[in-house]
Amino acid sequence: MTTQEPVIVIDKLQKSYGKVQAVRGISMSVERGEIFGFLGPNGAGKTTTIRCMLDVIRPSAGTIRVLGMDAQRDTLALHQHIGYIPGDVRLPGQMTGKQIINYFSRLQGRQPVLLDDLVARFDVEIKRPMKGYSKGMRQKIGIVLGFMCDPDVLILDEPSSGLDPLLQRTFNEFLLEEQARGKTIFMSSHIMSDVEKVCQRVAVIRQGELVTVEEVEKLREKAGQRVTVEFGDTVAQEELARIPGVSTVSKSNSSYHFSVSGNMDPLIKALSRHEVVRLQAEEAPLEEVFLKFYEEPEKATTVAQ
Amino acid sequence: MATTTIAKSIPVPKKRAEALAVMVRAIINARTPLSIGIFYGALIALLVAAIYPALSQANVGTYLSSGIISGLIGAHLTNFSGFTTILGIELYSAFYGLLFGGILAWIAGGSIPVTIENGTLDLALSRPISRTRYYLESYLGVLICGAIIGLVTVLAVWIDTFLVKNADINWQWLWITQLVQWAFMFFAAGLGMLLGSFINASRTAQGTALGIIALGYLMNAFGGLADQLKWLLKASPFYYAPAIDPLVFHQLTWWYPLVLVIAGLVCGIAGLVVFIKRDLPTT
Repeated sequence: MTTQEPVIVIDKLQKSYGKVQAVRGISMSVERGEIFGFLGPNGAGKTTTIRCMLDVIRPSAGTIRVLGMDAQRDTLALHQHIGYIPGDVRLPGQMTGKQIINYFSRLQGRQPVLLDDLVARFDVEIKRPMKGYSKGMRQKIGIVLGFMCDPDVLILDEPSSGLDPLLQRTFNEFLLEEQARGKTIFMSSHIMSDVEKVCQRVAVIRQGELVTVEEVEKLREKAGQRVTVEFGDTVAQEELARIPGVSTVSKSNSSYHFSVSGNMDPLIKALSRHEVVRLQAEEAPLEEVFLKFYEEPEKATTVAQ
Repeated sequence: MATTTIAKSIPVPKKRAEALAVMVRAIINARTPLSIGIFYGALIALLVAAIYPALSQANVGTYLSSGIISGLIGAHLTNFSGFTTILGIELYSAFYGLLFGGILAWIAGGSIPVTIENGTLDLALSRPISRTRYYLESYLGVLICGAIIGLVTVLAVWIDTFLVKNADINWQWLWITQLVQWAFMFFAAGLGMLLGSFINASRTAQGTALGIIALGYLMNAFGGLADQLKWLLKASPFYYAPAIDPLVFHQLTWWYPLVLVIAGLVCGIAGLVVFIKRDLPTT
């Protein structure tokens, strides 16, 4: 493949289990050196898509190409370049972390060159048997297993679930460093804040269908600002609602709360005609946008527009 | 918490020898039933030596020649004399297939489902390991467990020769007997691998494999009681492993063990095809 080609190309992927359609013809691509977020509520089809990428399950229709190789036909060649972290890392209780790392680096057929750094950075305990490990500790082992052989493409299925906030921050920093080293990262999640911090683009999947693929910055623009204004004089709620870009106006005491998307200029000009006691504006959390995508199709369409 | 930064100059990962890692792991996963097999193999063989002097004095010829006992041990004996005969009854009769074949079917049945349950299958197959190789290495691990159990019983019989005076063992025929039992174990392994290739829960796959072996034993035990039940006898895998015949009578229908080997191979290959084709579960 050339360096310009996308690293991951999913084309019309479908996966059915009997009459249940888990994934319904999704298409998307991930560029080289990108951290790509794959978002959706539980049961949306995220893990099914990832397991198709790994050839653990077979698509009913459609293709997946990673690094120019077919995920179903060129499995062995492709898997030499892939690191994978499952959402729920479960490992044999009697094995120690060290034995597990040794086993999987043998299966990879490569030395775990990043092992020492990862163990130090994530403070991973590798000497005790896994049966005494908490979910977070197992997840840390999962991170080590995914990254230790320095793969080119990382496929992460809700990788930070079970990590405490401090470790989540360390993990996010690590992902950005790996991206700087040219790694491509495909990461599913339902934790919006994590995705927002590290991903350049996100795809949202709901009930097996792709709702949108969007740059995080553009989504942020769509989310707009949350504004609170306290007036010294009387202002009608309808007047505010008529201002271009203003929506969801509500009133409490002498303050109005509303959202503003796009250019703030019409709002500022409208406010200048009144006595403004206090003005507060803050970025609306992306979570609200995502939640709308997760809800009914009509709302999602509105947000996408 | 440590805040080490990943070194900027990371060496290119060197290749590492894989050294049948899946096979070794399959044997380690089977360590409990394997230990049980080794323990009972050695115990029964040594027990035979311990009880032989007393048993050789007892008059059990009529008892042994009864139809029911013949069915239970899977051979018709009329003359009870000598160490080899008692070894044939106590160790190398149909009990061998029931106990050690059952243990191997249990090991094989769980070989793949256990890795689904402990979460290592997904992680292993996300590495450059084909499903064919994963299955065959697991299968090889199971067969090695069978080989170990068989060798331990032969070793215990060899120790018996030091404990029993005038142990009348013909070693050539003992090895042939052991080969017949290995053919049975090969069938049990193939059966277990087939069941484990499509049953996700280890206990279900293991229990089903063991149940089929036990059913085969019962078919063999009752099939000889009446002519109308002969079909039961011939449908049982135990019919094709008459290990007392080579051990005691020094005779063997050569194609009997071949039936078991072919049946085991068919089951094993069918399991491989199923494992390659199927979607693998997360739990």
